[in-house]
Amino acid sequence: MTVGIISKIHPVRSHSNAAQGGINAALNPDDSWESHAFDTVKGSDYLGDQDAIAIMCSEAPEEILHLEHLGVTFHRNDKGLLGTRAFGGASAARTYYVADITGQAILHVLYEQMLKYDDKIDRYEEWFTVGLAIDDDGRCTGAIMRNIRDGAIEVFRAKTVILATGGSGQIYKPTTNALVCTADGMAMAYRSGAALMDMEMIQYHPTTLLGNGLLITEGARGEGAHLYNAAGERFMEKYAPNKMELASRDVVSRAEQTEINEGRGFPDGSVHLDVTVVPKKRIHEALREIVMVGRDFAGIDITKEPIPIRPGQHYIMGGIKTDVDGRTDIPGLYAAGEVACVSVHGGNRLGANSLLDTLIFGKRSGAHAAGVAKSMNMPSVADSQADDVRNEIQAIIARDKSGGRRVSDIKDELGEMMNDKVAVYRDEEGLKSALEVVKRLQEESKTAWIDDAGTIFNQDVLGAIELGYMLDIAETIVMGAIERKESRGAQFRTDYPERNDEEWLKHIDIKLKDGTPTIEYSPVTITQWQPQERTY
Amino acid sequence: MPNYTLNIRRYSPESGEPAHWEKFEVEMEGHRPVLDAILYARNKVDGSIGIRCSCQAAICGSCGVRINGNPALACNTLLRDAVATAEDGITIDIEPMGNMPVIKDLIVDMDAVHWKKVQRVVPWLIPAGEPPEREYVVPHEAMVDVTQTMACIHCGVCVSDCLSMEADPDFVGPAASAKAYRFVGDPRDAATKDRLVHLAEDPSGIYDCTHCFKCVEVCPKGVAPMNQIMRLRRRATGDFQIKDRNNGYRHEKAFVNIIEKWGTLHEAKLLPDSYGEGLLGKLNPEAQKNLIGSAPTAIRGVLSGKVAPIKVLHHHKLPDQKKVKDIYEKIHGRDERIELNLYIVGEDADALEESAAVAVTEEGTS
Amino acid sequence: MKVAYWPGCVSRGFTPELHGAMELVAPKVGLELAELDRANCCGAGVIAEHNQELADTLNARTFAMAQAQDGAELMMNICSTCQGAQSECQERLDASSEYREMINDTLAAENLRYEKGVTNKNFLWVLVEDIGLDKLGSLVKRRLDGLRIAPFYGCYIIRPTDRLGYHAHPERDTYLEQVIEVIGAESVAYTGSHKCCGFPVITMNKKTSLTQAGRHLGDAIDAGADALVTPCPLCHLNLDLQQPEAQKFVNRDLGIPVLHFPQLIGLALGLEPKELGMGKHVVSTKQVAAKVTALAATA
Repeated sequence: MTVGIISKIHPVRSHSNAAQGGINAALNPDDSWESHAFDTVKGSDYLGDQDAIAIMCSEAPEEILHLEHLGVTFHRNDKGLLGTRAFGGASAARTYYVADITGQAILHVLYEQMLKYDDKIDRYEEWFTVGLAIDDDGRCTGAIMRNIRDGAIEVFRAKTVILATGGSGQIYKPTTNALVCTADGMAMAYRSGAALMDMEMIQYHPTTLLGNGLLITEGARGEGAHLYNAAGERFMEKYAPNKMELASRDVVSRAEQTEINEGRGFPDGSVHLDVTVVPKKRIHEALREIVMVGRDFAGIDITKEPIPIRPGQHYIMGGIKTDVDGRTDIPGLYAAGEVACVSVHGGNRLGANSLLDTLIFGKRSGAHAAGVAKSMNMPSVADSQADDVRNEIQAIIARDKSGGRRVSDIKDELGEMMNDKVAVYRDEEGLKSALEVVKRLQEESKTAWIDDAGTIFNQDVLGAIELGYMLDIAETIVMGAIERKESRGAQFRTDYPERNDEEWLKHIDIKLKDGTPTIEYSPVTITQWQPQERTY
Repeated sequence: MPNYTLNIRRYSPESGEPAHWEKFEVEMEGHRPVLDAILYARNKVDGSIGIRCSCQAAICGSCGVRINGNPALACNTLLRDAVATAEDGITIDIEPMGNMPVIKDLIVDMDAVHWKKVQRVVPWLIPAGEPPEREYVVPHEAMVDVTQTMACIHCGVCVSDCLSMEADPDFVGPAASAKAYRFVGDPRDAATKDRLVHLAEDPSGIYDCTHCFKCVEVCPKGVAPMNQIMRLRRRATGDFQIKDRNNGYRHEKAFVNIIEKWGTLHEAKLLPDSYGEGLLGKLNPEAQKNLIGSAPTAIRGVLSGKVAPIKVLHHHKLPDQKKVKDIYEKIHGRDERIELNLYIVGEDADALEESAAVAVTEEGTS
Repeated sequence: MKVAYWPGCVSRGFTPELHGAMELVAPKVGLELAELDRANCCGAGVIAEHNQELADTLNARTFAMAQAQDGAELMMNICSTCQGAQSECQERLDASSEYREMINDTLAAENLRYEKGVTNKNFLWVLVEDIGLDKLGSLVKRRLDGLRIAPFYGCYIIRPTDRLGYHAHPERDTYLEQVIEVIGAESVAYTGSHKCCGFPVITMNKKTSLTQAGRHLGDAIDAGADALVTPCPLCHLNLDLQQPEAQKFVNRDLGIPVLHFPQLIGLALGLEPKELGMGKHVVSTKQVAAKVTALAATA
């Protein structure tokens, strides 16, 4: 059996790099996975599936040790044991970390391991996935790829395919997400008939830099930083008197947006994150990245001045619906990480649970997919599928520039509109107009043109394909948000401001049926934690 | 809003045309990054401009380019800073990085150079035996220390302008060396000596670094690759006495011993001592070759009159040379080498300022 | 202006003409040199590579001696490498009071003590920042008209910028060009001016070392330079002493003279090539000397 890793960018460029603050696990003897699980359930506003959450939290300690043994340079406590920091929505300090580059450290160490097992893993770096190969029985049998470096279209046959393509943040502008986060996996699975789930649940991170939306780690608040409004009030006292700045992200983001909307923010539309209360030595040791972000991008010395921040699009709790082994609706197709929705995050993800989700369900997907593959023959993929893709790309390149819009113009309009209408606070009117815009942009994208007609590193044509991915997924996000007529987790409807367990304690699934997005519901798995009022 | 002219180095291998410069006018606030201006040009003017980019936050390492001749990330170089180094005060030159082949426009082949070099340093942890049941117990400081090299984002900016690599393309280079230190400095790694032997014996290894500080200057993440190379050398010679064939060990020992003995440098002795155990000592074959190779240089020095023959035989000791020797004895007598890594401890200047500020306040209130 | 003067080792060893030239130039630009004749080698980075504390202590010793010089406004060196190696040690010494105390404890045996914040400047910096280009211009006795000079800084005086005070003095990497113009000569632009001479690896990888030296020399020749000028005697070793060897690594004839920075200043101040030790170079300076002596005195 062989394994191939295919990535549209070099793997160490991936967006897991951006996970700064850490990774959660109840590894400390005084802690328990049940406590971690409860915090996660509560954080999800009871929309997370508790069987999946139990798996994630109970397997977490072993995963941390595994990473440590592979070489992740987790910071230690004064006894030389793995050290922890506090994080939002957690009842114990259980976030393991490498300064504020935890995701980068993990990603790079996993890449080290790929190099170590070079003879067992084929790496296809800078290959773009244009579509999944689905056979007549509806089974996923591989993918159609474009080699970005020379433009060649190739069919990759596979017994099993795991999507680990990350999120969809580029649907928003600004976003903390990288330019590569264009919903590729979600869109390809969705177009192939897989269900998406919880798509309305878009996380706004409480601390993104005013202006460009760069992420300021929750670790800053974990290390003790405070939030202030323009009146100098630590306003979280009003919203989360117990956990203060370390309430769940949806709670803190809403609090900030309320302060700003009600005129208590700074004139530039920000509130302030004050890191100066953290000892300087600790800042340099544990928040170095944020020091650099402040210095390089905002011209601020964060050890001396507060940082102007506001909530910014950061994560999608929803994704391709999977079971706890990563299986999607489509046989042979798996998904893990932000692209997937198991669902462990429900309505709101806790900080430092995303790396964990990715690693636990990535591993489980891999194990299951490998197990299935062992007892299979290699399927075939019709060459015509590659021809279709070649024709599709040629058609994009050949589009008439005299009519239609630029791909990038459509993308900008989408992003700004989504950030305006499908954000922290939502209502029916705004959402419906959002849906209209998305549909119009979908039409416009069919004639959208590009400049580059070349084969070597034609990033222009890939941008056109990505735009198609994003528009399809944007539609499902808006549809889910319209459908859920309640406020839960990251979805806050000003026209339905209360959580409504009676009607809406359920997942919204969206599937493409005969070319039409169709809504279905699926139950939330509740085991030992009954829904209760959520306060911090 | 200020106006900037981007002068982008274009190259498309498909076009059959040689590389050329192309100008793009961009109206943008000066606090925006150069990458935003490039993307503006790409999104609004010419979609075929090739540049790798992703995170826009200096963590993915994609967008290394040369800006006005200096290698940097386009995403964390602000326009107002870039224009400050522009020759005409307005035109910002943007070129692909150096030391690596260009694929298209601003995109270089990092596999052909950088990643090959990374592979050379065996870039994964090699622990001793089976892992413990729980975590490895290691000092916090050691993990903070290797986090400096873990912070490398493999952007290639240091590789681009490595001056040794310009002269010797085989040089393992700053980024891969930093990666090597990430393991050598990691107490969990059990292959420290092997790694160091490999790096010391390699003719294009750690002793091929010419100590030019270029990588320290340009690294966007504070990895200070050259400092890591110096630490690799320090560990190779100090901890393992690796007597490499490149004379790295001998050179260091010769230099250090000469200062101990004379207080100032005695160059005429340094050359032979660097190659052997002293002029009369037993020379290894490689050292003999090098010493003979350097003989014309020494003779030229004497002939030109700059090196008096007497100097070769006689170097005056520093008047207080004994004091220097005392310092050597005290420091060499310590149980361990003391190393102050400012990356770990930071500067205490601000702490002092803060306490001074408090004192002022107290005076003010009293 | 009185300065605590640290000439370095090489300027009194392999390039004695440098120290000699500096002693002649100093009074002409109003510098009183209080030589630190009991100070030790800066370590040139090699001692730091061996043992950081040892290098820091040895340089703290030099700094302490400089601080003990009555009436000296600052410490001056004439070697880029000393500048860089000493600045590196100073950065650590100044960063941590605890560390500084430990080093001072060692120095106490000699009744020396280093206080944070010594000002240590290469003559190039002193000339531009403390004496001033206007003053220098007024002191010129012989404008070096028609002389084409290629500047060569040496790494240690230009990188890393944050350690070498470039925030306060952002133009330090253009001082050579500025000075060259002020004394009437023409500054020649070429690719190697801010690159590395290769000297630090001359004993470890001669090819890497002399390929660098050879290329920069060749580039300067191609740019039409009459001579290079450098504030670093170690660069001088690779660029001048090793120049005949370097030819082999770049497969071309070289033969361009390399002046020490104080020599160039001396020529403009009316000193003669011979007294500035220009006869002691490996690559002949005769043509440059002839050009200079043919120039009429300005004043």
